[in-house]
Amino acid sequence: MGTRELELAGLHQTSDPPVGLLGDIVNRLTWPFRYGHVEPQPSTGFYTDTTVCIGCKSCEVACKQWNQLAADGLEWTGNSYDNTVELSAMSWRHVKFIEQFAGNGRPTVDDASAPAATSRELTFDDLLNGGGSGRCASDSARAGHELTLDQLLNGGGAGRWLMMSDVCKHCVSAPCQHACPTGAIIYNEFANVYIQRDICNGCSYCVASCPFGVITRSDFDGHSHKCTLCYDRQKDGLVPACAKACPTHSIQFGPIEELRDRARKRVAELHASGVTGAYLYGDGPTETYSALHSFYLLVDHPSVYGLPESPFNPWLHMLRDYGRTFASALLTVAVIVALLWLQEV
Amino acid sequence: MGANGPSKAIGTGYLSQDVTKVPGWHGLVAWDLLFNNLSTGLFLFAAVGELAAPGLLGPVARAAYPVAFVFLLTDLLLLVSDLGDPLRFHHMLRVFKPSSPMSLGTWSLTLYSLPLTLIVAVEAAQWLNLLPHGSMVVERVRKLAVVVCVVPAFGSVAYKGVLFSTCSQPGWKDARWLGGFMANSALALGSAQLLALAVLTREARAAAALQTIVAVLVVLNLIPTGFVFLEIRETLARIYSDQQIYSALVFVVVTGTLAPVFLLLAGGGEPSRIGPVSVGDLCNFVAVALVVAGGLAVRSLFLKIPHASHEKGLLGSKT
Repeated sequence: MGTRELELAGLHQTSDPPVGLLGDIVNRLTWPFRYGHVEPQPSTGFYTDTTVCIGCKSCEVACKQWNQLAADGLEWTGNSYDNTVELSAMSWRHVKFIEQFAGNGRPTVDDASAPAATSRELTFDDLLNGGGSGRCASDSARAGHELTLDQLLNGGGAGRWLMMSDVCKHCVSAPCQHACPTGAIIYNEFANVYIQRDICNGCSYCVASCPFGVITRSDFDGHSHKCTLCYDRQKDGLVPACAKACPTHSIQFGPIEELRDRARKRVAELHASGVTGAYLYGDGPTETYSALHSFYLLVDHPSVYGLPESPFNPWLHMLRDYGRTFASALLTVAVIVALLWLQEV
Repeated sequence: MGANGPSKAIGTGYLSQDVTKVPGWHGLVAWDLLFNNLSTGLFLFAAVGELAAPGLLGPVARAAYPVAFVFLLTDLLLLVSDLGDPLRFHHMLRVFKPSSPMSLGTWSLTLYSLPLTLIVAVEAAQWLNLLPHGSMVVERVRKLAVVVCVVPAFGSVAYKGVLFSTCSQPGWKDARWLGGFMANSALALGSAQLLALAVLTREARAAAALQTIVAVLVVLNLIPTGFVFLEIRETLARIYSDQQIYSALVFVVVTGTLAPVFLLLAGGGEPSRIGPVSVGDLCNFVAVALVVAGGLAVRSLFLKIPHASHEKGLLGSKT
């Protein structure tokens, strides 16, 4: 049963005995108190190991199938073979393809100290001429070169594909939850960020607040939507559909502490294998952002994957912004009073 | 973007794209920002004027409250229309969340609307002779409502800027002084509207006083505007050319500040007439219109930043 059906089942059904207007109002007002206390469960989340993602998009399909999400349509973006483009109100999972082949299309970042790929880049001419100065991984293998895992991840020195299954980060301190003025966005008993779609009124403040560009307002119903971390499946003790479908275990689901331990071991394993650029993104809090309950193992800069280099929770500014606003307003009122006093005198 | 210089790139992946998604806040929101500031600014200025200088601004202030009320209704209509599901507008009042500027703003606007409605209702009842003119009790109730209304009006003017500055959107998120700008601008807009009302109600002394105040406030508003510009200039430089930035800046400063100040100083008290309107009055009206137009222009330009940044990023990823 999908989340939508669970929510609808909680509403008054036509088969139920008739309820008058007053009864309906009383029912609505007392429902939150009658609902009872929900016992907190161990925090759960996703750990996504991008090094084993093969870009099959089965997670996208499984998500759409389980949550009964319509297709968004396919589109060529002009920058990769990915044709499902981005997370949206109807696509709660999106596998990003990062194709690092073009000589000058290769992303670069300013911060040289951060982990970065070291592959030699395949030029456009290489692609057209099928060789030249740039041999692909298989060429290297045929030539008898021993390739390390790092070289393989970096395309064997001839450019590479990076793939990452993107989803809501289920931030421990989520800007969207802070922003939501209706109380539609909550943390559920699994500490996942969940949008109660029967409450959301589509103000879009969550869309503006999310530093990861996850939440989207639907043009169809006008409400905001995103990954529920398969709340309905979790309640029934099931693994979220995407994690269940992932054929390479790139997407792993479980209690968050267990996932962190698993991820750290994997990073150590990769480092030992020579993939020195591997690191975890969002497994712990930073000075400007909380930990993420959906964190990633990456091998290049976050911005290469379309993630903010150092996410910032906009709410850290709020009190000082209010302070500036009130100071400015009071100062202006003081000027007005002074001018009025001068005019009267 | 690589070390080899620009030539035949296949794509830059996600590096050049904005990570954030742009909320569907377009033209309606620019008008909402304007009408919010027109209403709260007019009310606050009128209230401060009535309480601090009742002899000078009392009569004009009484005319201002119904105008502030109409602008508030317009603003609320715009706010509701902009929702994805307008019929659920009342869900905003399910919870009070001080951590959300939008929640704080919704409650401020609600609390602001109640005493303002009472003030306007009292004035309307007096105008219709349903309540006695000059009754001390009625006057005290009205004045109490004005005083009570000041705090939520202050909240209503304050939340807008903070709402935008506590976003993750390019440009908006860097504008630490946006709230200060909005508050200052609202009071400048309020003074300009009160000037127009003073001219319309033939309160010559109030109009003369307000000309100076409008000029001072409009010039003062350049300070927070400058702060905001400095804070977002890096984002602007990434999106727009220098020529575009300076053209917009010159337009905003000339339209919203220099031209109105010139008109207020040049036309103030000019007795000669063009038809039924004196040149001085005409200058005042044009100055007020320019202040409002400048206010709308700066709000529209500011709102467009994430949209323009997003488009620029998409273009960049395809180069």
